[in-house]
Amino acid sequence: MLGAVSAIETRELRKVYRGRAVVDGLTLTVEEGEVFGFLGPNGAGKSTTVKMLLGLVRPTGGEVRVLGGSPDDPGIRARLGFLPEQFRFQTWMTGEEFLNFHGRLAGLAAAEVRTRVPEVLARVGLAGRGREALGGYSKGMLQRAGLAAAILARPRLVFLDEPTSALDPIGRVEVREIIEALRGEGVAVFLNSHLLAEVEQVCDRVAFVKAGRVLRQGSLRELTGGVIPVEIVLDTLSSELRSALARLGEVRHVDANVPGRVGLELWVEREDTLPALADAIHGHGARLYTLNPRRPDLETMFLDLMDGQVPAGEVARA
Amino acid sequence: MRNALLIAELSLREAVRKRLVVVLLLLTAAFVGFYLYGVWRLEWTLDQRAIDAGLEGRSTTGAANIPVMYAALFGMYLVFFLGSLMAVLSTVGAVSADVENGVMQSVLARPIRRAELVAGRWLGFTVVNVGYVALVSAALLGGIAALTGFVPPDALPAVGLILLAITLLTALTVLGSTLFTTLANGIGVFVLYGAGFAGGILTAIGSFSDSPTLLTLGRAASVLMPTNSLWLGATYHLQPEVLRQLGEATRGANPLFSTEPIVPGMVLWAAVYAALAVALAMWRFSRRDL
Repeated sequence: MLGAVSAIETRELRKVYRGRAVVDGLTLTVEEGEVFGFLGPNGAGKSTTVKMLLGLVRPTGGEVRVLGGSPDDPGIRARLGFLPEQFRFQTWMTGEEFLNFHGRLAGLAAAEVRTRVPEVLARVGLAGRGREALGGYSKGMLQRAGLAAAILARPRLVFLDEPTSALDPIGRVEVREIIEALRGEGVAVFLNSHLLAEVEQVCDRVAFVKAGRVLRQGSLRELTGGVIPVEIVLDTLSSELRSALARLGEVRHVDANVPGRVGLELWVEREDTLPALADAIHGHGARLYTLNPRRPDLETMFLDLMDGQVPAGEVARA
Repeated sequence: MRNALLIAELSLREAVRKRLVVVLLLLTAAFVGFYLYGVWRLEWTLDQRAIDAGLEGRSTTGAANIPVMYAALFGMYLVFFLGSLMAVLSTVGAVSADVENGVMQSVLARPIRRAELVAGRWLGFTVVNVGYVALVSAALLGGIAALTGFVPPDALPAVGLILLAITLLTALTVLGSTLFTTLANGIGVFVLYGAGFAGGILTAIGSFSDSPTLLTLGRAASVLMPTNSLWLGATYHLQPEVLRQLGEATRGANPLFSTEPIVPGMVLWAAVYAALAVALAMWRFSRRDL
């Protein structure tokens, strides 16, 4: 029996089309207020999973709960937002009409729709463009309009399926800011994206799926074995300083090939060790050129998992 | 119910914004104008002949006015046929087109039941189609009355039966739209419409030749698709006594008009059939994956 506290909870979720399992025993949990990345190659069953979570596709088996209830319940769907991957809307409508329609469908009062529509248009960068027909919008503008519809009714859980696929770099940054703002408001975000750098930047946790199954899920720290690789560049490395650094972390690599520069790779367990590293370097009279904690490399992890190899984090943990 | 009305309103606005209504009204105005001009010329010719024959005038219900009566009947047949075309073509993608182009996903992710969506689409398109046929019927019959003085004996029940046929066609097209692709649905509904028309022809020939087999086949086709029976029922109300007598004399040789009123059971069946089609569409769409 599934609990009722998570934003999303599935257990052994299955969908079979013509004898072929597209989603095959998918079990995952997304907590309230977290940004969750859903990663996998084409054909991994990501879109089908999203559709089952929204009640658009009926599961063949397993259990699914969204915001503690069934996605078949309109009362549950009233608290969801959704930006589909194929953001196709009624192109004969203007942007404002489109949002008015979705606001009314979502059950917002007429007065609330009137105030909310300009707000969300401004939030997605379409202020002043709401009276234009969607048919005249660029792909990027349509995606922004779809995002506006997704957040219009103040949802508790938002599904974003490739939300930046049609956006320029500025648009991508804006979407990232919107996602971070949603997290700040306690809204859970289920992000389905191929842009791993984007996922790395905004997601609290991720799940890797392949052939309809979750291969791994957890925070980036958990998935990479709990260590933070730190790149350090100094003018000199004395044996005392090396010993001091070794007490704070594990010295993995030293490169003294460049005259006047010594490069190190150090693994530390906690982020709050980083100031101590800087203090130790300055305390031993060395000049610090670089102190760079590297984020876990999602792309490498993704490729390793999809190739069936053991991820780097697993090696580190072992 | 609120959501169904919202979807119906959307369908109406869609018809207006896509210029479906404007184009239809303009083309229909051209058609009605063209037809009424022909009727006016016919009336003028008949009047001229009466004057040439030394008569003071013509009776609007007598045999001398049969050409005008036929003009009204055939005009209404064109209205029925155009209305049927309109009902199928406007509604053929009511659900399937939105599924095929992906619009449906963002709509059904909202707190709306699928049954409400289907009901709303049917209601919206029914209002457009029925409103259109009612308007054109009124324009045609009103125009003929104004030009010739001829008014069919029972125009209201006749138009009512035609509107029921349009309602049924719209319902069946919405049902097909939840079952098939847009193209397959259009073909399917027209084939069904053709089956109903074939039923009327078989019944007429069976009656004329006194063939029980043809009559049975005709009845079966009419039950499968009652639209033609409803049209024939409408023609009974549109014909003055002189035309009915003429039809009886020819033993119903004209398959487009009937000298018998439609049996109430067929009217009831058409109404129930439309309701069943909408209910089945609601049920089917509620169980389908998108």
